[in-house]
Amino acid sequence: MTQKLDPKLKHRLDKDISHAVTNNRIVGLWRLMDGFHWLYGGAMVAIALAALIRSLGYRLVQKIVDQVFEQGLYQNALPWLALTFVGLAALEGVFVYLRSIWSAQTAEGITLRLRNYIYDHLQRLPFTFHDYVKTGELIQRATSDVSALRRFFADQAVGIGRILALFTVNLAMVLSMNWKLGLLSIVILPFIVGLSLFFFGRVSKAYKSYQEQEARLSTTLQENLSGVRVVRAFARQDYEKDKFNLENWEKYQRGKRLILMHSLYWPLSDILCAAQRLLVIAVGASMTMRGEITVGTYIAAMAMVTWIILPMRNLGRLIVQVSTGLVSYNRVMAVLAHPREDIEGGSVPEDTVIRGAISFEDVSFSYEPELILSDSPDKPAATPAEGTPSPVLHHVTFQCEPGSVVALLGSTGSGKTSIINLLLRFYNTSSGRILLDGRPLETYPRTLLRRQIGIVEQEPFLFSRSIRDNIAYGAQRPVTQAEIEAAARAAAIHDIISTFPQGYDTIVGEKGVTLSGGQRQRVAIARALLKDPRILVLDDATSSVDTETEDVIRQALARLIPGRTTFIIAHRIQSVMNADLILVLDHGRIVQSGTHAELMAQAGPYRQIYEIQSRVTADIEEAQ
Amino acid sequence: MTPAQTFQEEEFTAKFNGKVLTRILGLIKPHWLWVVGSLLMIAGTSTLDSYFTYLVKQIIDEGITPHDRARLLQLLVRYGLLAIGQAITVFGFIFLAGLLGERVQYDLRHKLFAHLQELSFAYFDKTPVGWIMSRVTSDSERIADLVTWGLVDSTWAILNVTTSLMFMVKINARLAGLIVLILPIMAAVTFWFKQRILEQHRVVRKLNSKITGAYNESISGVRVIKALVRERPNMDEFADQTSDMYLASYRAAWYSAMFLPLVRLIGAFGVGAVIWYGGLQIQTQGITIGGIQAFLSYMMFIMWPIQDLARVYAETQRSIASAERIFSLMDSHPEVVDRPGAVEVPQVEGDVRFEDVSFRYGDGPEVLSHLNLHVRSGEHIAIVGPTGGGKTTIVNLLCRFYEPTGGVIRIDGRDYTEMTQRSLQSHIGIVLQTPHLFSGSVYENIRYGKLDATAEEIERAARIAHAHEFITELEHGYQEDVGEGGNLLSVGQKQLISIARAVLSDPAILIMDEATSSVDTLTESRIQKGMDAVMKGRTSIVIAHRLSTIKNADRIIVIRHGRIVETGTHQELIQRRNDYYDLYTRQFRHMQGTELLGA
Repeated sequence: MTQKLDPKLKHRLDKDISHAVTNNRIVGLWRLMDGFHWLYGGAMVAIALAALIRSLGYRLVQKIVDQVFEQGLYQNALPWLALTFVGLAALEGVFVYLRSIWSAQTAEGITLRLRNYIYDHLQRLPFTFHDYVKTGELIQRATSDVSALRRFFADQAVGIGRILALFTVNLAMVLSMNWKLGLLSIVILPFIVGLSLFFFGRVSKAYKSYQEQEARLSTTLQENLSGVRVVRAFARQDYEKDKFNLENWEKYQRGKRLILMHSLYWPLSDILCAAQRLLVIAVGASMTMRGEITVGTYIAAMAMVTWIILPMRNLGRLIVQVSTGLVSYNRVMAVLAHPREDIEGGSVPEDTVIRGAISFEDVSFSYEPELILSDSPDKPAATPAEGTPSPVLHHVTFQCEPGSVVALLGSTGSGKTSIINLLLRFYNTSSGRILLDGRPLETYPRTLLRRQIGIVEQEPFLFSRSIRDNIAYGAQRPVTQAEIEAAARAAAIHDIISTFPQGYDTIVGEKGVTLSGGQRQRVAIARALLKDPRILVLDDATSSVDTETEDVIRQALARLIPGRTTFIIAHRIQSVMNADLILVLDHGRIVQSGTHAELMAQAGPYRQIYEIQSRVTADIEEAQ
Repeated sequence: MTPAQTFQEEEFTAKFNGKVLTRILGLIKPHWLWVVGSLLMIAGTSTLDSYFTYLVKQIIDEGITPHDRARLLQLLVRYGLLAIGQAITVFGFIFLAGLLGERVQYDLRHKLFAHLQELSFAYFDKTPVGWIMSRVTSDSERIADLVTWGLVDSTWAILNVTTSLMFMVKINARLAGLIVLILPIMAAVTFWFKQRILEQHRVVRKLNSKITGAYNESISGVRVIKALVRERPNMDEFADQTSDMYLASYRAAWYSAMFLPLVRLIGAFGVGAVIWYGGLQIQTQGITIGGIQAFLSYMMFIMWPIQDLARVYAETQRSIASAERIFSLMDSHPEVVDRPGAVEVPQVEGDVRFEDVSFRYGDGPEVLSHLNLHVRSGEHIAIVGPTGGGKTTIVNLLCRFYEPTGGVIRIDGRDYTEMTQRSLQSHIGIVLQTPHLFSGSVYENIRYGKLDATAEEIERAARIAHAHEFITELEHGYQEDVGEGGNLLSVGQKQLISIARAVLSDPAILIMDEATSSVDTLTESRIQKGMDAVMKGRTSIVIAHRLSTIKNADRIIVIRHGRIVETGTHQELIQRRNDYYDLYTRQFRHMQGTELLGA
């Protein structure tokens, strides 16, 4: 249902907002509005004009009461006067409409631009950022904090503008009719505003604690549902009920506190407003009787006083919301202030053909210190936590020819994945250098480099879209159905896809069918085949599938490898024995390297692992 | 459209279903005093709202115009007293309705949660967790809103319109009749717009959750996105979604922008009529100045109660849909229930017997057929076989998550349906492939196995499970917070804690689904040792993925296509050169690794 946006609007929306990231909040907000300043200004003017027209209506009532009703003048003009009210309402309506439309365009436009910018920013942030920042935290900043900003522009700023406009216009009008009455109509106002500020400041805290409890309640529920097997297996239903009820009851209690605050504020504020009104009614009445003001003035003033005081009751709410909106602004900007990864920069031309000769020269690597995402852009976006980083690779040196197979063998945490991460430039080396076809890796634009490396991971990530789209995901060009099927066939997944009712259009992931680990891996193999990279990284991940599937996957991989420089991340000897180069890693160091034959000839971990893992053979012989 | 998407689709029942409404009202019945109280209070508030306008008319006509100071004072005092009186009714309705709303939510959630604890696995297998979550959270909130604010607001609105009309009739019946003509038009426009606005908001909400999903994928899939250089096409796709969002939000804003001016314009015709007609009448004493001013006030105010009614009406439809979903959850019955006369069995030996057991899920194909298996007390059994062969089903049946569709399962010779579910389950310990922990400390999570365990018992269990060592390395030891679902710990650590939990519960029968995910070597060996320790002296049935488990088992059961195809020890089965031998040698053949590296 994608529709086209108005080109004029599109032009506004395409404005780059990267310069809005600044540590001055006002400047930042102003720049976020780029392209919308006049529109939003127009909305504010419309607010003032609508308020003005409304009070002109009351002035008209004043005149009609005094001259037509009281003095019996202009009787023939009555139909026209009646029509004037309709006209005024129509005119006011036009301005109210413009105010709504213009502020909506501004708020939605700013939000759209910001959403797009954040999205792009997130996928371009380096791993040094993503490693330490939780997904939930980022999503919250991208969604609820952005919505809070949207409300700031759409509702709160406009709402405050409206209250101020109504106040100014109506007060000015009453003052112009009778200055005494005017001053009288705001005597109690400070108390109303003060109470409103005090109350909403308090209630926002109570509301926050209520919401936190609500979140705790849903966590309890969610854990109970996803752990239903554990609950049943330990027969803990009653315990769970008690636990849930405790949280539920606490929520009820906090809700009660919140309700109590509201049920005290509104009547109190009602009484203050009534007092203010009564003051005007009483004093106005005696002024009228003394002839100081006319009946018309009295009636008009009573109506206008309502518009001076009633909106003020919400001022406190708006101000509290604005202040939370500003906190949201800071939280969003803290993410945006973090520099992106430069994926295009590099001196090597984009059309360079890569052969795939790789050499690591004395490469060491340690992760950057942990980052803590701040809530404000004027501090460094993310501050390093205490402590020195521990190195994960120590002086790694090796080289391989184009088209050769390199096996990385070692336990979890030995540095296998770090080598791959450096190769893809997900991270930069701490010291030493990596050469690709004789040129330092940093001289290649990341896009060029990554287009030439294909990865098949142990637990491949698939996107919530069709299988077709998932296979074509990395192709970087339009691909035909025939190509996709060919890749799927080679990856030994075509037959399984064909059994799905919707075939290649089947949606996978959270909202679609769940593929097994082996199936996901084969989709990833098809994806890598279609990408046709010069360098291939395979995570030997057959432990999660049963033996028959393992067979099929091995065959599929065997079709993928020939002619490409291949890195195999291995956990077992059997998958590395035919490699051109085997690197045995332990705690970030290469402890042994060579071919299978070479490594078997020397005493060391490789031979040990081999002996342990091949004991299976002995078992069979023993049994026979 | 995928099945899951259609499942979560929010359906709109446009009609007012009488049965559902009665049932909703049934929810507030236990708190009827609060309901009556809040309705009385809102009735007072509403009537006073209309009366204040009339009071101002009296002040003008009876006080100011005749210069009657005594009457004026009397009316002003009345105004003040009534204002205080209204403050009390306002307090009353906010407090009572608010409390009622919280209470109804509390009751609903309480009931739903308790009901969920009794439902069978079949229900959880076919219902996504997210769906159930929304029933318990947002749907119950919506219903509570309907029975409290919905009721209160509509009462206020209806009373306000009626009493205002009554006062207007009292002032001038002909003019009031004229005004009555305008109301239906105003109401029709209001209802139409409120409906559209609500629909647009629904569209916006849907798009919003799509956008959240896109953010989620861009973060959790960032590795793949970078590796496949998908930044630019992804950005274009996302921009399409945000454009849709812009257009939908804009449309929603448009309806709102049109709505108020239009309704006010309709009201302005009423104001015009009052000026015109009033102007003519005032000369003939048909109406007073105060009367005209009261009419003007009523006319300008009357759009608000009408708006409230329209809002409640539009929301009621949504709430009814919510209620239908909640009631469907409440009406679903557990498929596995305790038989009448089922007994608590305090102690079992752990002798398990499957006699001619068959099973199918719903009307699906048979996943187990005529299975016979006898596990003697204290025996260790390893179950192997290809995925989908029926291994997990055996576990599900033994725990009585499901019941056999044919045949009998006996524990110590007694048909297990003669025992209560809880009694049976208290004798069975389970360690799952993907360990599940609850928010809280390590201590609390282990204690889950035995709620009255002492600190010593918990530590002993942790030691047996080989979890003690890593726990003491944690910053806060046993008091370390494990995070939501245990996600502050690694998979291996969670596994160790779940083993300790099983040790503490000291079951006669232990069921384990071995983890397949790779953990680091140290943890791996700890898990292995922990498992060995916990199996000691108990009947154990393990869905095995590790060679060592298989080799240490007293008996290996090979399951394929829902049948036991072979049983025996490792040695025996190897020699038999059948299914097991195939499975085993396949793995052996892979050791050559030639297919992969043959290039």
